[in-house]
Amino acid sequence: MQENFNQIQKEFDKDISQVSSLNDIEQIRIKYLSRNGIISNLFDKLREIPKENKREFGKSVNELRDYITNIYEIKKKEILSKSSQESSKIDLTLPANQIKIGSKHILTQTLEEIKEIFKSLGFSVFEGPELESDYYNFEALNFPDDHPARDMQDTFFISKKFLLRTHTSPVQIRVMEKNKPPVRAIMPGRVYRNEAINARSYCTFQQVEGLYVDKDVNFSELKGTLVSFAKQFYGNDLKYRFRPSFFPFTEPSAEMDITCFLCKGKGCKVCKNSGWLEILGCGMVDPNVFKYVNYDPEEYLGYAFGMGIERIALLKYGINDIRIFFENDIRFLRQF
Amino acid sequence: MKVSLNWLKEYINLDGISLNEIVDKLTMAGLEVEEIINQNDIYKDFLVAEVKEVIKHPNAEKLSICKIFDGKNILQVVCGAPNVAVNQKVVFAPIGAIIPNGNYEIKKAKIRGIESFGMICSEDELLLGNDSSGILVLSDDLIVGSKVTESLNLNDVILEISITPNRPDALSHIGVARDLSAIFNRELKIPSISLVEDEKSIFDYASVEVEDINNCPRYSAKVILNVEVKESPSWLQQKLKAVGLRPINNIVDVTNFVLYEIGQPLHAFDLDLLNDKKIVVRIISKNTEFVTLDSKKRELPAGTLMICDSQREVAIAGIMGGENSEINFNTKNILIESAYFNPSKIRRTSKLLQLQTDSSYRFERGTDPNITKFAAERAAQLIAEIAGGKVLKGTIDVYPKKISPKEIILRFSKLNKVLGFEIEKEKVLIILKNLGFDIYEVQPDEVKVSVPTFRPDVEREIDLIEEVARINGYDNIPIVPKISVTLEKKEDHQKFEDKIRDICIGLGFYEMINNPLVSEKEALLTGNPIKIANPISVDMSSLRTSLFAGALNSVKRNLNLGNKDLMLFEIGNVFNSRVQSEINDFNDFQEKQNLIIVLVGKEQNKTWNYSEKSFDFFSLKSYVNAILSKISLEKFTKDSYNSNENEIFIYYFQKTLNDKIIGSGGKVKKQVLELFDISSDVYLFEFDLSEIKKFDIPVVKYIEPLKYPKIIRDFAFIFDKNIFYEEIENFILTQKLKLLKKVELFDVFESDFIGESKRSLAFRLEFYDETRTLTEEEVEVEFNYLIEKITNNFNAKLRSS
Repeated sequence: MQENFNQIQKEFDKDISQVSSLNDIEQIRIKYLSRNGIISNLFDKLREIPKENKREFGKSVNELRDYITNIYEIKKKEILSKSSQESSKIDLTLPANQIKIGSKHILTQTLEEIKEIFKSLGFSVFEGPELESDYYNFEALNFPDDHPARDMQDTFFISKKFLLRTHTSPVQIRVMEKNKPPVRAIMPGRVYRNEAINARSYCTFQQVEGLYVDKDVNFSELKGTLVSFAKQFYGNDLKYRFRPSFFPFTEPSAEMDITCFLCKGKGCKVCKNSGWLEILGCGMVDPNVFKYVNYDPEEYLGYAFGMGIERIALLKYGINDIRIFFENDIRFLRQF
Repeated sequence: MKVSLNWLKEYINLDGISLNEIVDKLTMAGLEVEEIINQNDIYKDFLVAEVKEVIKHPNAEKLSICKIFDGKNILQVVCGAPNVAVNQKVVFAPIGAIIPNGNYEIKKAKIRGIESFGMICSEDELLLGNDSSGILVLSDDLIVGSKVTESLNLNDVILEISITPNRPDALSHIGVARDLSAIFNRELKIPSISLVEDEKSIFDYASVEVEDINNCPRYSAKVILNVEVKESPSWLQQKLKAVGLRPINNIVDVTNFVLYEIGQPLHAFDLDLLNDKKIVVRIISKNTEFVTLDSKKRELPAGTLMICDSQREVAIAGIMGGENSEINFNTKNILIESAYFNPSKIRRTSKLLQLQTDSSYRFERGTDPNITKFAAERAAQLIAEIAGGKVLKGTIDVYPKKISPKEIILRFSKLNKVLGFEIEKEKVLIILKNLGFDIYEVQPDEVKVSVPTFRPDVEREIDLIEEVARINGYDNIPIVPKISVTLEKKEDHQKFEDKIRDICIGLGFYEMINNPLVSEKEALLTGNPIKIANPISVDMSSLRTSLFAGALNSVKRNLNLGNKDLMLFEIGNVFNSRVQSEINDFNDFQEKQNLIIVLVGKEQNKTWNYSEKSFDFFSLKSYVNAILSKISLEKFTKDSYNSNENEIFIYYFQKTLNDKIIGSGGKVKKQVLELFDISSDVYLFEFDLSEIKKFDIPVVKYIEPLKYPKIIRDFAFIFDKNIFYEEIENFILTQKLKLLKKVELFDVFESDFIGESKRSLAFRLEFYDETRTLTEEEVEVEFNYLIEKITNNFNAKLRSS
C-alpha cells in the first residue's frame, strides 16, 4: 500500500515539474485534487480498508494530500506571478478594432430633438399620408379653388383630385376629424414641392406641424410655446420676433424669426443681410378650418405652426447644400 | 414689388422717421421688406463727366482710350463701348467706386498695356436699366463734375417688398402708404382729380358693351382725343425705372404709373383701331389665334374672356392687350380701359396661357371694383397734362350691379380672447379707421365696421382681429408665463419606427434618406407605380413602390465614392397603385411604411487580430432575426426559403407573421445590379412595417432563469446533401422529447472522403428540466432514441466521435 502512495507521489512530482502554464496547473488540480481526483478516490477506498489498517491508511492519504496540496499551491502562485509578468510584455499600443455602431440620419436626429421638446410640453405625435387628396391638402385648409394662395406651394399632382402633400397641415384636419378637443399634437412628415433641385431647394423635405385646440387657446400662448421651443432648441439667450404673414388656414398668421446665429444679427449672406432667420410659420387656426372638421369656432380656439427640418439642420450644422442630405454618402452619415 | 420711398412720400408725410424704422415697421406689419436699395449709398461715388478725347487702343480692336474730365482732372480711361464719343456727358466711376451690378470695386488697372483710371458706365452696370450694349449717354445740360445722386436725382430708396397673396390692396404706392398711415398714425393723402374736360361727350365717340357681367362686373372708360405720343417726361420715366419698369411712351407710361400708384391696371387702346369705336367684353366661343402686344401669337382656348371691338378681339381681358390696337407713335385718339374682372377667371386664363403680367397679377388677387372710375380719370388727367389732347366729357361706366362694402361686427371681448391680452378700444378704432375701414356703430363691447372694397381679404371678425393685431404689433402681444398640460394619455404614433431606428443603429447600420421620386423603370421593378402628372424629370416621374431603388442608388453612389463596406437602412413610405386607371380614391392605392436593410462588402475587414469576412446571405438572415427579436417578434415569425431566382433576387427568403408576408430579401441578381451600375454583391431585406404594426406584440413575460444544470451532448451525422437543415431541425424538435430543449448546428462539413453527394452536420443538443437536476442516464435515453430516429428517417450515418 505504502508503495502505492510513493508511486502516486513520484508521478505527481513528475507532473508538477512539467507544469508551465495556468492550464497545466489546472490539469494537476483536476487529476489529483478534484472531486473525482486521485486523492478523493483514495478517501473513497477507505471504506474498503479493513478496520485495523484504516487508521494508518487514512494517515497516509492525509499526508499525501497535504504534500500535493502544498506543492500545488506553491507552483500555482509561481505560475500566476509568471503569467502576470508576461502580460506586462504585451504591446498594448496595438490598434483597437472598430466596433460597428451606426447612426441615425442627421435629419432624423434633428426631428427627434424637436419631438422631445414638444412631447415634454404635452404634445402627442400623429402622422398622415404623403399621397393626399386635394380636399385635405387645400380645400379643408381654406385654400379656395383658383386662389393665388395655391401658388405659394408648387404642387406635384397625381390626378385631378390627388397630389403629393405640399405641407403637413392636412394632418391637422385628419387629427381633428378623429378627435374632439382638446387636441394638442405635433405631426411630423415628408412633404413635396415641385421645385427645381439645387443647393438651396429640393423636391421633398420634412416638416413638423403643430396644433393645439381648446377653449382658451390664444396668440399669447402660441408665442409663449414657440419661444420656449426655440430657446430649448437654439439656446436660452436667443432673440426672436413674430412677423405678420399669410397662410389660408390661420388667421392671424405669423412667421417667427430668430437672430441669425452666423452673424449674430449683424447681417450676412445667410440671412440676406437682415440679421434674422425665419424658422417657422404659425397662427391662430382659421375659423373656416374648424367648420370643415365640425368644431364650433365660437366655442374653440386653436393655434397651429409648421417648420421645415432640412432648413433647421442646414442652419444649425452649417451645411451649404441641401442635396447632401439625400446622397447618403456614409462619410457624411458618419459625422453625426 | 418694388416701392420708391420718394414716390411714397407723395401720399404720406414721413418726416422724422428714419429709413430703418420705416423698413422695420413695414416688415412688422406684414409687408416684409426683403431688400433695400439705397441710391444715396450706391451712387455716392459716381460723377457726371465729359468725354474729351477718344482714340483707338493700339492693342485691342474693340477698346478705345478716352480722356475724360470729371470736373477737376483729365483722366485716362480705357472703354469698351462702341458708342463712346467726344463731347458726351457720361456717368463716370472713379477708382474706389463700387459697380452696382456685380458689386465690384473699380481699381486702377492696366488694360492691354494701357493704364485706366476709372470706368464709363452702362445703364446695365448701374442697374438703371437693361441696356448693356454701350455706355449710358446723359443729356447735355448736366453739370460736369456733379454727383449723379443730385444731377440724376439718384437719391431714392427702393424697397423690395414681399406682398402676401391676401393683400392685393398693398400692390401699389397708395396701398403701402395706407399701411404706413396706420402704423405711424399719420394722414394718407390721396391725389384729387382736377380734370379739364372737353365739351364733346364721350358717348358720341365710343361705346362699351359687357356681355359677361359675372366675369366683368365693371368696365369704365375715358377717351382722350388728339394726344401726342412721345417719350415721357423724365419725372415719369424715373418713377417707372425706380420700380423696375421700362418706359415705353407717355400713354403707356401713364397707365403703368396709375397701376403702381393706385393698384388699378389700365389698358390704353388706339381708338381709331377699334372697329366702330366699340368695346365688347365677351367670352369667345371657339379657339382663336391672337397676337398680343409682345408680338407673340397665342392660341386662345374657347371660354377665354376677351375685350373685342365690333369685329375682332383686341385684348385678353385683364392680362394683355393685342398688337392690333396698341398705342403707337401715330396714335391720335385713345380709349383708356379701367375695369374690374372676376379674380378667379383671370387666374384661370393666366394659368392656362402661362402668361402672368402686372395686370393679371393684380386682377387675380382682387382689385377694387369701386376705384375704376377714379383710376380712369386720374390717367386721363395725367395724359392731358403730358401728352396734350382733349379729355372727352364724361366717363363710360358699365356697372350694373354695384359691389357694396361688407359690414362686420367686431367684438372687443373676442379680440382680447384671441390675442390673449387687452388692447384699448380707442386704439382699435384708430387703427381700423387709418386702414380705411368705416366705423359707424360703437357699442360697449362691439363695433360695426364697413370694409372698403379694396380689402377683399377682410370678410369676417377674425380678419379684423388680424388687422388690429398686425398694426398694433405682434411684438406687443405678451407671452404667457406658463401653459397647462392635460393629464390625458399622450399618443406617439412614431414610437415604433423610432424604436426600429434605435435597433438598426445598435446593429451598426447607418440611416439613409432617399428621394421617394424615382424613374418609372425603377418603380416598375418592385410594384405598380403611381405616376406624377407633372414631374420635374423622367428620373423622378414615379413614386417609389419600395425602398429598393433608392437604396441601390445610394449603394452605387457610395461605391463610386470608394465606400466599399456598407450597412445601410431606411424607413420610408412606399406607394403602389391598385388600379389601372388614375387615382381617384384612397382605395385606389396603397401607401405603407417599409424598412430596408442593405449589406455590401465586408462584415469584418482583416485586422491584426481578426480575419476577414464578407457579408453573405447568412449575415443578412442574422440581422433580420436580430431586428425581429429586439421587437419580441422573432418567435412569432416563420421563414420560407427560395433558392430559385425571382425578378430581383438570385435566392431569397421571406418572413411571415400570421400567414402574412412581413418582409423578404436575399442576394440581388446581377442583371438587376447592372441597371444600377453596381458590380459588388448586395444583400438586402425589406420589411413591411405597416403590416408588422398591425400585429399586437404581446408584453414580454418574465421567465425565471434556469436553476439546474444543463447537459450538453453533441453528435454528427452524414446526410444526403439534398436534405435541408431546416427539415432535420424540425424533425428533431417534433420528436416530443421532454428533456431536449435546444438544437444547435455547429459544423457543416463536405468532402470527397464522405462522398460527393453527402455532407456531415454536427449538432449540439441541450437537455434540461426547469424543476430538477437531470441524470446522465435519462439524457442518454433521449439521446440514443434521437440517434436511432435520425438514422432511420434520413438514412443518415452517425459519425463516431
